[in-house]
Amino acid sequence: MRPALRHLPRRAVRPTPPAPRPTLTAPLPSKSRPFTSTPPHNHNHTPSSASVNETEISHFSALASSWWDPHGPSRPLHLMNPLRHDFIQRCLSTSPESTPSSFKLRYLDVGCGGGIFAESAARLPSTQSVTAIDPSPTILAVAREHARRDPALVGSKGRLTYVNTTIEELPLPEERSDRYDVVTLFEVLEHVDYPAAFLDRVGEFVRPGGWLVLSTIARTWMSWFTTKLVAEDVLGMVPRGTHDWEKYVNEDELRGYFAKKGGQWGAPRVMGVVYVPGVGWREVTGSERIGNYFFGVQRLS
Amino acid sequence: MDALARSRGAYVCRSCTRSLRRQWLRAHTYSTAATTPDIYDVVCVGGGPAGLSLLTALRANPATTHLRVALVEAQHLSKVRTWKLPPDRFSNRCSSLTPTSVRFLDSIGAWKHLERDRVQPYHEMQVWDGVTGARIEFDWGLGAAPSADAIEGTTIAYMNENLNLTSGLLKRLDELGGVAVFDGAKVEAITYGPETEELDLRQWPLVHLSSGNQLCARLLVGADGANSPVRSFAGINAPGWDYNRHGVVATLEMEGDGWRGDQVKIAYQRFLPTGPVAMLPLPGRFSTLVWSTTPANAAVLKSLSPKDFVAMVNAAFRLSPTDLTYMHTQEAGQTDEYSWRIQHTPHDPRAVPQEVVAVQEGTIASFPLRLRHADTYIAERVALIGDAAHTIHPLAGQGLNQGQGDVQSLAKTIEYAVTHGQDIGVTMSLEPYLAERYAANHVLLGVCDKLHKLYSASSGPLVPLRSVGLSAVNALSPLKSFLMNRAAGNPLKLF
Repeated sequence: MRPALRHLPRRAVRPTPPAPRPTLTAPLPSKSRPFTSTPPHNHNHTPSSASVNETEISHFSALASSWWDPHGPSRPLHLMNPLRHDFIQRCLSTSPESTPSSFKLRYLDVGCGGGIFAESAARLPSTQSVTAIDPSPTILAVAREHARRDPALVGSKGRLTYVNTTIEELPLPEERSDRYDVVTLFEVLEHVDYPAAFLDRVGEFVRPGGWLVLSTIARTWMSWFTTKLVAEDVLGMVPRGTHDWEKYVNEDELRGYFAKKGGQWGAPRVMGVVYVPGVGWREVTGSERIGNYFFGVQRLS
Repeated sequence: MDALARSRGAYVCRSCTRSLRRQWLRAHTYSTAATTPDIYDVVCVGGGPAGLSLLTALRANPATTHLRVALVEAQHLSKVRTWKLPPDRFSNRCSSLTPTSVRFLDSIGAWKHLERDRVQPYHEMQVWDGVTGARIEFDWGLGAAPSADAIEGTTIAYMNENLNLTSGLLKRLDELGGVAVFDGAKVEAITYGPETEELDLRQWPLVHLSSGNQLCARLLVGADGANSPVRSFAGINAPGWDYNRHGVVATLEMEGDGWRGDQVKIAYQRFLPTGPVAMLPLPGRFSTLVWSTTPANAAVLKSLSPKDFVAMVNAAFRLSPTDLTYMHTQEAGQTDEYSWRIQHTPHDPRAVPQEVVAVQEGTIASFPLRLRHADTYIAERVALIGDAAHTIHPLAGQGLNQGQGDVQSLAKTIEYAVTHGQDIGVTMSLEPYLAERYAANHVLLGVCDKLHKLYSASSGPLVPLRSVGLSAVNALSPLKSFLMNRAAGNPLKLF
């Protein structure tokens, strides 16, 4: 989980790493992203760290101390969290036969950050367990420390488990039925170097009938304007380098990716949302083609 | 508390409480079992109308029924539970319940538990200026013989004894069950919770009771009145001012059922320079009095014989402010003074309440009037409702209704937080409650405050202006229905 937009004054966080300052005269990067690309063979990536970009990890580790400050830079993420649950409910309700309402759900939250979503999912009476993973040990320490403040999250029932790992290193449950009912990927995809390979791996963890639910930002002029130019450079709401516009993923690219999987995945559900400062997040139909959006897809086989 | 019914997936599970107790004992070997904290999702301090409504709303809603809730009340609730008066006796502490409040009480299953034959709806308001006589009549244009449906739809508000409400709420709560009740228990201190190997409750309020119990709260609700200890604990200021006025209350017996009989009842309020005097209908021949006046006048009224007190009340709705000022200086003899002066005071008897014939024994009392508004209603793991958040001038009969509005909003906020997995105690989850209630309450507090001040003047430039104002309002039906809708507690629609 990564901050998408932060709307408060710059805090005492390390502004890492210095990104080249875009100017209005500089040409924007090319519009098409090589979405289906996999790690180049000559590159020295081990499979275990294929999705992880070290620069991204250090950047978000620096934000750890303010992660749970309701008036800190993560406030928009806190405000967005209820919508994630609304969207998941909407997805589950489209196939009530595969997840009846009496069913206790098993969640896997990939890139959990400080645990905003993971904690909330673990508190729901309809949850059996939440496994939340993140590659940054600094942020996971914050998440674990924060969970101690709530008796509903820790102790003998232990519905919430944090694991400091990447999705590549997380063991895949052998029985397909032991895989997860809901795998979530909130504000993560836009920080991943090779999204297709990453999604291939993440998708393996969804049980047949379960859902992969993610949120990310479309790569458009508008998102470049709001998240890069305005948020990072003009207003300084977000530490520079929070976003890499070239990594943003468009909704039609995601649709194309899942459609090519030979009937493995159902028809996607999409919800576009817009952040209104002072009000919060609002669903705006069609805005998935402009900025932030949710994307849910059910695994059929 | 172990006897409490709890559903699966409780927010705070019993085993957590137990394991915390064990760890707490390990960490504090000197402590005894009686002083180990119990963990609750909601601890409500104060068992008045606001606190009882909140717990009822939470218990009645399937989405929040699994929360572990506790009630702390200094009084013994058995007195409220067994409250019973004969049909011709009424408590002197009554409140106006707006149709909005009644709908809410009905939705949480409490309204049917009130003794309904002790509740009096009213359908008309007569408000006038005691100095100039300018008048505004609030009625819904009911004809001479309105149908029962027409009467039902035109109720401005319901007069009800506060004890009837709290007693009904308690009956509903008993029916729902699942509340850990600590009554007859004083809050001795509020500190913060412990830290153990497994848990960090250092931001959770820990309520120490005189009974020796310690309650650890995910959310501590202050429904504990104008001098709220919970508010002090949270460090929230409640600035305001004393009006230097007292509200004198009494239960009165009238000469009849009212000018329009038992079907269409009328509320009366006259603005005197010392403050408004209001006569509100109760069932049958009874009415309740709320007379805001100076502390000195209040002391005189309370010292009078029942007969002279009755004469003063009749005078308050009929004689001139000058006559009234004089009669407040008399030690006794107001009865004769009134019968002489009323002969020389031209008035329309049907424009004022019927004559009072008696005052019920032991019902004359008074309380100081204050305006207070807390700087905020929320802090980390704390929420304030009702008088703990605001106290208002009683001239519009809105105090209790504001509290019910708070409860409805807070219960909705908690439901949203629970169904979205949020921790109900953190300010992030409580923000919608503050946003919804603060401005609404502030406007109403301000309006009532300004009305009080406007009518406190007996001479000067404001007096003719305010009469023009009242007469103009009376002539402008859209404005009048706007004001009537506010009085009936209908939500303000800006767009």
